[in-house]
Amino acid sequence: MADVVLKNLSKRFGDTQALADLDLSIRDGEFVVLLGPTGAGKTTTLRLIAGLERPDGGRIEIGGRNVAGEAPADRDVAFVFQQYSLYPHMTVYDNLAFPLRAPVRKLANDEVDRRVREIARMVRIDHKLENRSTRLSGGEMQRVAIGRALVRRPAIYLMDEPLSSLDAKLRAELRLELKRIQKELGSTLLYVTHDQVEAMTMADRIGIVAEGRLLQVGTPREIYGDPASLHVAARLGQPHINLLPTDLLPGANPPPGTKTIGARTEHLDIVLDQNANAQIDWIEHLGDQNHLHIRVRDHKLVTLADPYFAIRPGDRISLTLRDPLYFDASGQRLG
Amino acid sequence: MVEKAADATARATPTSVAHRVRGLSDRAIAWLFIAPTITLLLAINIFPLIWAIYLSFTNYRANRPNAPVQNVGLSNYERVLTDPDIWQAMQATAHFVFWTILLQTVIGFTLAYLIDRKFRGHAFWTTLILIPMMLSPAVVGNFWRFLYEPQIGLFAYAVSLVTGIPTADIQMLGNVSLAPWAIIIVDTWMWTPYVMLICLAGLRSIPDYIYEAAEVDRASAWRQFWSITVPMALPFIMLAVLFRGIENFKMFDMVTLLTGGGPGSITEVASITLKRAAFESWATGRASAFAIVLFVAVFGLANIYVKALNKVKQR
Repeated sequence: MADVVLKNLSKRFGDTQALADLDLSIRDGEFVVLLGPTGAGKTTTLRLIAGLERPDGGRIEIGGRNVAGEAPADRDVAFVFQQYSLYPHMTVYDNLAFPLRAPVRKLANDEVDRRVREIARMVRIDHKLENRSTRLSGGEMQRVAIGRALVRRPAIYLMDEPLSSLDAKLRAELRLELKRIQKELGSTLLYVTHDQVEAMTMADRIGIVAEGRLLQVGTPREIYGDPASLHVAARLGQPHINLLPTDLLPGANPPPGTKTIGARTEHLDIVLDQNANAQIDWIEHLGDQNHLHIRVRDHKLVTLADPYFAIRPGDRISLTLRDPLYFDASGQRLG
Repeated sequence: MVEKAADATARATPTSVAHRVRGLSDRAIAWLFIAPTITLLLAINIFPLIWAIYLSFTNYRANRPNAPVQNVGLSNYERVLTDPDIWQAMQATAHFVFWTILLQTVIGFTLAYLIDRKFRGHAFWTTLILIPMMLSPAVVGNFWRFLYEPQIGLFAYAVSLVTGIPTADIQMLGNVSLAPWAIIIVDTWMWTPYVMLICLAGLRSIPDYIYEAAEVDRASAWRQFWSITVPMALPFIMLAVLFRGIENFKMFDMVTLLTGGGPGSITEVASITLKRAAFESWATGRASAFAIVLFVAVFGLANIYVKALNKVKQR
């Protein structure tokens, strides 16, 4: 395990600037998640650290050593790919043992065996060690892929949307397991996803990436509660943050220069009131909660409500802001 | 009641073909469509096969159609299986099949591996390599007869230039120890591109991320080759071997044109012996028995092989 530092990292593919001057430092034992939409440069960042792509400029330091010119094998990283990149003609056991059997490691057979079995138990695949890797379900394949990374003790684990191809239930399960395993091993992990729930639940720190740039890095709480810009605020929160003009709702105290007010559920107070400023358009019942679709003049808002909150479509309400987020014309946060 | 139900069903499915073509069920129409193919297949494949099996138990001779035909039991088979000439022919065939497959697989896979690197102009080289395969075996046979010509042939000239052996001594088609290799060289020249194409398909089917995973897992190029490239391309390689094996087991045209089985009968592969028995000695019954023996041998070997192939594919 070691610190990993990226400095001014840049990469271009033809006309596309995949990464522009990215700076990021990951401390030893830290779980960092890069969150961003497809094509933001998340995967490129991982591939650059692993050495699967060459950077156009910048430094990649692993444990204080610049590895930008080294081959992937010399960098001491482990990679979990988005696809199940298992060796299809091998058993689960052989897949897990593959990295350990690299001749440079000179591991004894019983040591390989001990590590494989230990990791197989950890990712809960030990009952299928003798199965062909092609005869597994999607979830099992991805456990093996994660296990194959974990059998090693590299400087850093790099994971590229490892859970994105799984169904929701399995994703939730593996999310918990991955966090548990990372804590257990105390490993340094850089994880890439476009799923805000994965980012919020697993990360020690989240980095928000868009168009090849790192917009903000911080703990999940900071990123959610104290976003630096409109873009970052829009990445997190379900339902999506409501972006409103300054004069639409009462209760705001906008600093000079405010162009847009961002209001999530916790920034909106609802009171049933016949002479109010807003009306309920529609209610989506999700079971544990309701999504309220609200109209204020010609603006539409979405917010959450308790399922027991007695309210019906057509009801008039009075809507007030409580400590919302303020953004200037360029989308930067104010106040 | 039942009729009513059937009527209702018919009304409920107005798009059924049966309603548009009066008096014919969908099934009948299906048969109508495949009948020409089946008739042809029966007439030119199945019937001759059954007829040949029948003939193999008789003393029938095609050049004496009016002579009485007697059932001779298994004696044709007995003669075929104990005939030293036929065993000689089988050995010549085995030699030819073994070496052509070995050379074509090794060279074909190597070429595919090199082409797969996607170097500059790889498309041009691929096309160039494929040219021999597109020629007709008759053309290739004639072509190489001239190339092998000791006095005027380019092959003898080139070999002589490199080794210093006088061209008159390079009798590729006339020398007993060189002639089997002469036909192996020509077949390899012609069909290696085919093996290469299939191997290339195999290599292209291996996704890049498997190699990337192996690279991060610290597998050397050598280890990647043996633990990823070869096992994952193996079903394709085996398929190429199967195709080439079946083809070369029945090799006739090219060898006939190059050596005609000679010198002596050293390059007389099974199909040439068979043709001689059937259309030179006119021993139709015995030739049929030989053909059946060959068929069973190829069919049996191919079946065993396909089982092995399926096992490899299922891994």
